[in-house]
Amino acid sequence: METMNKLGRILLVEDDPKDVELTLTALEEYNLANEVIVARDGEEALDYLYSRGKFKTRSSDNPAVMLLDLKLPKVDGLEVLKQIKSDEKRRMIPVVVLTSSKEEKDMVASYKLGVNAYVVKPVDFHEFVNAIKELGAFWAVINEPPPGSVRK
Amino acid sequence: MARPKLQSQFAHSPVLRYGLAVASFAIALGLALLAQRYGFHNVEVPLFLFGVAVTAWYAGPKPAALAVVLSIVFFDYFFTEPRYTFYVTSSDIPYLIVFISFALLVAWFSAVRRRVEGELRQARDDLQIEVVERTQQASLLNLTHDSIFVRNMDFVITFWNLGAQELYGWTAEDAVGKHSQELLQTAFPAPLEDIHEELLRTGRWEGELKRTTADGMPVVVAARWALRRDEQERPAAILETSNDITERKRREQEIESLNLELAKRSMELESINKELEAFAYSISHDLRAPLRHMAGFTELLQKKVASVVDEKSNRYIAMILDSTKRMGNLIDDLLAFSRIGRAETQKTLFSLTQLVREALTEVRQDTEGRNIAWKIGALPDFYGDRSMLRLVLVNLISNGIKFTRTRPQAEIEIGCADGNTDDLVVFVRDNGVGFDMKYVNKLFGVFQRLHQSDEFEGTGIGLATVQRIIHRHGGKVWAEGAVDSGATFYFSAPKPRGHLWKP
Repeated sequence: METMNKLGRILLVEDDPKDVELTLTALEEYNLANEVIVARDGEEALDYLYSRGKFKTRSSDNPAVMLLDLKLPKVDGLEVLKQIKSDEKRRMIPVVVLTSSKEEKDMVASYKLGVNAYVVKPVDFHEFVNAIKELGAFWAVINEPPPGSVRK
Repeated sequence: MARPKLQSQFAHSPVLRYGLAVASFAIALGLALLAQRYGFHNVEVPLFLFGVAVTAWYAGPKPAALAVVLSIVFFDYFFTEPRYTFYVTSSDIPYLIVFISFALLVAWFSAVRRRVEGELRQARDDLQIEVVERTQQASLLNLTHDSIFVRNMDFVITFWNLGAQELYGWTAEDAVGKHSQELLQTAFPAPLEDIHEELLRTGRWEGELKRTTADGMPVVVAARWALRRDEQERPAAILETSNDITERKRREQEIESLNLELAKRSMELESINKELEAFAYSISHDLRAPLRHMAGFTELLQKKVASVVDEKSNRYIAMILDSTKRMGNLIDDLLAFSRIGRAETQKTLFSLTQLVREALTEVRQDTEGRNIAWKIGALPDFYGDRSMLRLVLVNLISNGIKFTRTRPQAEIEIGCADGNTDDLVVFVRDNGVGFDMKYVNKLFGVFQRLHQSDEFEGTGIGLATVQRIIHRHGGKVWAEGAVDSGATFYFSAPKPRGHLWKP
């Protein structure tokens, strides 16, 4: 397997099915959709990361990147971010906040918690697709993830 | 007052005093001789003694001594054997002794009487002086606006000045002799025992008292008490000075209640603000999401069906996309607008020239393919929130670019107008389509637009944002224009303090 084909696993944490579909469509255009795991709320995301609940049987590898929405049911995005950034084993997982919110306080809170990137979902579909593609390409392909991450 | 006057004349004139001695003697001698002639004997001694007594009583001891000497000499001459000689026989000696002892007795009585009289006079004079002084002091106490009254330790009022009359409504006649607590219905700020305890310990007390006037009106007074002690150091009376603070108290209470009201209002405002913030947040997040979905799926649809549906359907799809884009811009602008109201301004001193340059870079994209003559005048330094001011300039310059679109040769001028000494005024002028001055009040309102959207696109929030930012800087915005003759937008702001104004 060649390096460039080594696709990182993407954990997409998004509660809105339409957003999930649009994101997957955008990733598909770059053939990045295969290794996407979707968590529909903060709790599910944490279950995945900690291999518990319905992800009990998965291997304990970390994803190459986590795309995290902030407004989530049960456990919100900032809480998820806080938990994994304060966990020695998972703090190295690159986290990209992908949100509709342009609120400065969200942005500041995210950066304070150690987020790796903060992306506001553009309303315009072209821009959205481009943003997702670039994100996917950068984090899942170009960026060398920390040791212990899943590579295909 | 006649008697003292007469006496004082006698006392001060030796002629009168000795004259009286001589006259008393002469009258006594005359009467004695007359009595002798008519056969009355042995009346001369009482007559002479009477003359001596009168002299001693009214003229004092020395004239009395003169009268005694004269009486002895002429008694000896006229009434003792041998008569009509001054020869003194042994039988005259008892008369001599009687005369002298009687004179001494009368003189002593007289002296005692004079001393007592003098003391009485002195006491009366002292009393008169004191009365005058007291009256003057009391009338002085009536000059003050403060209420002053004195009460003894049994609360009985003994003095009451005009100020007290004015404050409480009772005259001195009404008040003196009354029980002060009953008269004034005083409410104390602390138990009376404690107050008295402090008064006895320190000799004074101060505090606010609530009382009732003669009209039944409540008054609040600031009272100061001073304790007077008698010669035996026993508490004797309390002097109270007080002034009416009812009005002040009322105002204080008013201010307090206003402050409470204000605090309540500001809490309400704060909660409204929080609600607004939550609302803006929800707009930001919740409205954008469905919009993004509409745009996204419409575009996906367009991709799928563009080649199989007719032109009209394609146009519909394009219009949906256009609308979503417009709505996206609206939401973004509204959010920016609401954020300006909430965000803290971070003020620094910066060069407006530099900021205009940055704003021009930001709008460069809109000037592509346009023929615009820029005229940038000298601009001063500005003290304010740099990023907010950049938004102001970008908005005004974008408007200039937008509304000169129909001009083959657009002209946009940015400069500094003459303000007053405190404010600086910056303007952006264009030769665009302008506006009708009768709508000038609508220019800066949210969602207010003076052009149809197919003529000139826009959300109607730009100038409202400009106004909000300038207001937050303590300045003003206004505009001048005419239809088809361009427009000038002005904003003013306080000049930077402590820095030289550099045009």
